[in-house]
Amino acid sequence: MIPSLDLLLALAFGNLGLMLLAGRNPTAGLLSMILYALQGWVLVMLMPALAEGAASGLAFQVFGWSLSWELNGLGWFFAIITVGAAFFSAWFAAGAWGVQGTRSPWAFHVTLAANVAAMLLLLASRDLLTLFIGWELVTWAGYAMMIQSGGPATRAAYKYLIYGVAGGLAVLAAVVLIQVQAGGLGFAAVAAWMPGISTGMLWALMLLLGVGFGIKMAFLPFHRWQAEAYGESPGPAAAFLGAISSRMGLFGLLILLVHFIGLARLDELLLPLIGLDARILWMWLSALTIIIPTFIALKQNDARMLLAWHGIGQGGYMLLGVLVGSELGVAGGLLHVFNYATYQAVLFLVMGAVVYRTGTAHLDRLGGLITRMPLSYVAMLFAIIGLAGLPPMNGFVSKWMVYKALLDEGLPLLFVAAVIGTLGTILSVFKLIHNVFLGQLRVEHEQIREVPFSMWGPMIALSLIVFITGYMPGLALDLVMVAQTSLGFAALDYHLGGFVTDTGNLNMLAVVSVLLLGMGIGAGIFLLGGNKSKRVHQLDNYAGGHFLTTEVRYHYSHHFYAGLLRLIGPWYITLIKRLEGGIAALTDTLAAGSDGLYRTAYTPILMLAATVLGLALVL
Amino acid sequence: MDFDWQHMLIELLVMPTLAFVVGLVMVLMARRLRARIERRVGPPFWQPLWDILKLYSKRTQVSHGHMHEISIIVLLGGMIAMEVFLPVPGFDTFAHHGDALTLIYLMMVPTLGMALGVSACANPNGSIGIARALTAMLAYDVPFIITVAGAAMLYGTTSLPEIIAIQQQQGLEGWGAVQMPLLALAALISMQAMLGKEPFEIYVAPAEIATGPMTEMSGKFLGSMFIMQCFQLYTVSVLYTTLFLGGGENWATFLIKIFVVVAIPMTLTNIFPRYKTEAVVAWLWKWPTAIALVGLFVVMMR
Amino acid sequence: MNPEILIALPLLAAFLLPAARRIDASVGIWWGPLVVLANLVIAAMAWWKVQLIGPQSIALGGFAAPLGIELRADHLGLSAAVLLNLAVLLLWPRETPDKARVSTILLVLTGAGCGLAMSADLFNLYVFFELVAVATYGLAAANGKGEALIASLRYLILGALGSALALLGIALVYAKTGTLNLTELGGMSEALSGPAGIGALVLMVVGFGVKAELFPLNNWVPEVYAHTESRVSALMAGIISKLGILVLLRLIAEVFGGSPGLEFLLWVGVLGVVTGELAAYGAKDMRRVLAYSSIGQMGLVAVALALGGETGFIAALILMLNHLLVKPALFLIADAWPGSLKALAGKGRARPLGAVLFVLLALSLIGVPPLPGFWGKYLLLDAIFTNVTEGAGLLVGLILAATVVEAAYFFRIAARLFGSGEAAEESKIPGLPAVAALFVIAFLALSVQTGRVGDYLKEVVHGLQPQELRMAQSDFPDPAASVNGKGERL
Repeated sequence: MIPSLDLLLALAFGNLGLMLLAGRNPTAGLLSMILYALQGWVLVMLMPALAEGAASGLAFQVFGWSLSWELNGLGWFFAIITVGAAFFSAWFAAGAWGVQGTRSPWAFHVTLAANVAAMLLLLASRDLLTLFIGWELVTWAGYAMMIQSGGPATRAAYKYLIYGVAGGLAVLAAVVLIQVQAGGLGFAAVAAWMPGISTGMLWALMLLLGVGFGIKMAFLPFHRWQAEAYGESPGPAAAFLGAISSRMGLFGLLILLVHFIGLARLDELLLPLIGLDARILWMWLSALTIIIPTFIALKQNDARMLLAWHGIGQGGYMLLGVLVGSELGVAGGLLHVFNYATYQAVLFLVMGAVVYRTGTAHLDRLGGLITRMPLSYVAMLFAIIGLAGLPPMNGFVSKWMVYKALLDEGLPLLFVAAVIGTLGTILSVFKLIHNVFLGQLRVEHEQIREVPFSMWGPMIALSLIVFITGYMPGLALDLVMVAQTSLGFAALDYHLGGFVTDTGNLNMLAVVSVLLLGMGIGAGIFLLGGNKSKRVHQLDNYAGGHFLTTEVRYHYSHHFYAGLLRLIGPWYITLIKRLEGGIAALTDTLAAGSDGLYRTAYTPILMLAATVLGLALVL
Repeated sequence: MDFDWQHMLIELLVMPTLAFVVGLVMVLMARRLRARIERRVGPPFWQPLWDILKLYSKRTQVSHGHMHEISIIVLLGGMIAMEVFLPVPGFDTFAHHGDALTLIYLMMVPTLGMALGVSACANPNGSIGIARALTAMLAYDVPFIITVAGAAMLYGTTSLPEIIAIQQQQGLEGWGAVQMPLLALAALISMQAMLGKEPFEIYVAPAEIATGPMTEMSGKFLGSMFIMQCFQLYTVSVLYTTLFLGGGENWATFLIKIFVVVAIPMTLTNIFPRYKTEAVVAWLWKWPTAIALVGLFVVMMR
Repeated sequence: MNPEILIALPLLAAFLLPAARRIDASVGIWWGPLVVLANLVIAAMAWWKVQLIGPQSIALGGFAAPLGIELRADHLGLSAAVLLNLAVLLLWPRETPDKARVSTILLVLTGAGCGLAMSADLFNLYVFFELVAVATYGLAAANGKGEALIASLRYLILGALGSALALLGIALVYAKTGTLNLTELGGMSEALSGPAGIGALVLMVVGFGVKAELFPLNNWVPEVYAHTESRVSALMAGIISKLGILVLLRLIAEVFGGSPGLEFLLWVGVLGVVTGELAAYGAKDMRRVLAYSSIGQMGLVAVALALGGETGFIAALILMLNHLLVKPALFLIADAWPGSLKALAGKGRARPLGAVLFVLLALSLIGVPPLPGFWGKYLLLDAIFTNVTEGAGLLVGLILAATVVEAAYFFRIAARLFGSGEAAEESKIPGLPAVAALFVIAFLALSVQTGRVGDYLKEVVHGLQPQELRMAQSDFPDPAASVNGKGERL
């Protein structure tokens, strides 16, 4: 079988069909996993052919336009992440979770396959219309995936739907505008027309595309839908959605804004009173997208909401890196997409495992699970170090690249803003792991066991990827360079361990090796010096003179950052939330008004009024 | 990149040992200073080392699980790694492989390790202490990161050996403290918080929360924390010296500089009481941050 | 087969029905459908002939225009005739107390509708329009319920007033140009570009717009659709409103293209879209939601017509075709869920097929690719950006905002359907009635073959231009010369 885009799409849609028919079968997960692995293999085989573009045989003619699909480097990069995330999610759901952990395994497998197929169609688009069709399919497939658990998920998914449809229509307006002005839909025609467009048209396009794709990315101020929508999805579904679904918005922005319009043209758009140009404004919006959702995550009491809010924040890093425009920055932003997908998937999968065993994800009702679920703990530990962006995990590398790019370009304030986001992340993820896995174990959880291999397998595998790509970032950077060159940027100069630049080096091989060696020395000092340590029970603890019993909860989990939140609590504004409510109320009022209009009894008067007014208008 | 294996191996072994020894002397200096202020004599010269050895040789070593022990190892490992990457006179091969940003993040690894270990002890006093420690970290890191950004802007590089070279080229006027005095002041204040000294000592707060993070640490666990304290004093002072005081041309000037840098917070700590957590955050986000921002603007104007 | 039979046969059958009923009472049941079936076959054959030999013009009775009546047997007219016959046959009402009377009404409707679709003469158009209107007034009251009678009365008053205004418009046109033949009027655009001509267009839009559900003449729509039987609503929303719009389509395509009076139609369309979708958002029961949605979609068609150009007309035709297939299916499926929207909780689980198809059809109305509704909206946006110089942004913004509202209310319903609630008890109404299934199959066929249908619609639009028609005529012997009114060769 020759690897080709057609084969890839056939596998994806074949998977969808198979799941529709056989999704209830217990082996559906395994079949799904195999098909995703095959899709991954096809993608890897396609890598050499990407320079000219891997074209598909699918083509349609409609209304005088022809639609066709072709995969290039950027789409390939996102496709690898998509298929990888789907593989691990399907693996998680293939065993016990698929049977007992979810209301409808059929719904899960079908929606996962639908999402992957839709995303592949989007990523392989060759003209504006295929881009838009793929975009709408991705939006609706995402909605299907979010509603599967019912209850509060339905409300969250409905909110997503409103935002998603509005965003999609903004993109549609931009697409039609470009098509009418450029005279064609193919990317070649668009590329030829773009350099000559006027500033007014540039503003219009930037706003429409920014709003349209920004809504999907949960970019400030359109971020309010994502947390509940992803948080209420069941474990592996949330893992998949969090890993890659929002990044489709980034893909759209990269193709249309960064590649076709180009970052240089954004510098021309000056805001009237402030004197900043559009690019700096976007970068500040990205920085705010990093900070504000991260601090909202700090306040959350449900672990899945916490993770979902972090997902919103991390998207800001990716766009910030790309907007800097230097090779280091763009590579950093793209690498962050990959890194983020790896560790966010782990985190949501671990929470899925915790919910599976304990039935709750509420941070005040868990604790001490490290003794019962050690593998889940290790996976979460690796992932939160990655999310926080600390060495030795991969998150540190991509964040370092973004920071360095910001400093090199002379943007220290944005650098400070990005680091503040990281600091907030460290606080928030520590609260997560502390409240769930550390501290005292509750009585009701004393008998739970670790999850089966089908569930800890993907978590540990992904954690290992997080570590290995942190140790040797060159491996992941190979993938990133494929995307970066296809976007039109120069390739970054890197080696297996990191970078050598004029203004500071990073060699993760050295850093991580020294860290591991240091830990070895520390282990030597600690374990060999001094006597053997004696393990004590968790109730054998300092309690100021009291005896501890299991009736008294002795775990500090509620209101974890009490001091900090007492200070910054009042700083949280609900402006956007109230704006949302205002728009909903306005729609209700207008609807009632229209309804009233149609219920009037004296209809012929309306008719005469319309006639008179109409004649007055046109004569 | 050339791998000078010999040099690297020597650095790997010598630098942590050096850091430990200098750190021990710094701890001694801190305790002697406190003693002088309180009109006492103070401990003998080898006291810090005896303390560590005493703790390690205790018969009962209470452990609360594997994570408790692993965290100590991570803590020590992180600090040893940091010492290797700090440039000192004569040993800066490894310092070329990481830069200031790497160091700042490496500095958070031991904190995280300690946090995980303390939480594994399952004692709420420890957890409260850790929550306060992380809050304080959020507080002092904001002005600190602004100073690092300013330094990066001024020197045009984040590689620490380069920064030292640039400062030493111009003599005394080249020092960071002279070129960007406001940033140096802000960094000094956040250094005080980084070391966890009064008035930012809330997370240890011995009388309040049963010593906070150290509640369940005894024996070699506490001994390792003492070792960490030595490393921490050394690290922070060397970092400050590198960024603002021109590094060390030779060992004599280097040692004088780092001891002076440590002496300042160690003296100030004895005269202040302790701020509450939210007061720590509020104060650190107000004055040092404002000073640092002004300093940053001054640097950017150039 | 001559297209005149399409008009004559049902009308004749309608007149004969009361007499035949006296002979045999059971005639009322099968007479109507049989005649419509025969009419359908004739229409299909005529349509096929036009496919083969191109559009034709027929002079009734051998009297040539402008004195005689001209019938336009072109793609648009015959497609409309076929679809009308098919729709009437499939959506034959069932809940009527007097079957024979309803049969009469429907036969008149069919015959007059075919005449309306094929007329190329303003007065003829008006006469058939009035016939269709009267038939629909009767149809709206067919089930004999009190609310239906009141709604029908309101419709009647509005319709009668509208027809009077339309007649005024036609009189203005005749006064200005001296002819009523569409082909001849097509060449007289200077005469019609003055205030009288523009005023005539406005009056005709108002008059014909009552049937076409245009704002603000569509107050009758929610009441009538809510209280009549679902099949009648389906018939009216599906095909009758299209007939109203079809009149406007012919007028704009042949006579009033580019007239400043089209701005009025544009406003009417936009306001229709916005108020229709908003009112649907606030509606409390399913029938009203679908009625308001119908108003919204007709508003979109009106906007497309007002913009004109090939793109605009094709957009209008696609939107009309999409709505024609989707709305009847929606009405029939929604029959299973009577009552207020709040009572819908969980009912979708009892009838999953119907509910899923409901969602699919709603997606087409919203405009999700690759369904046909998307192509209609895309072409509409294309026409806006191409033809509108200022205010394009506002227009597009309003239409897209209305689409978001549309998605909101349809999916509020869908969420309730699939949400939690007591499972509905077994009901006699199936989840997917057979007729709805037929509409759905046609809809799916359209979705899959959008390319081919698009090409056909392009042909339809080209066929609307009188110049092309005259060219087609010249290739063939003049049928008016060799064939008399009954189609017999001389």
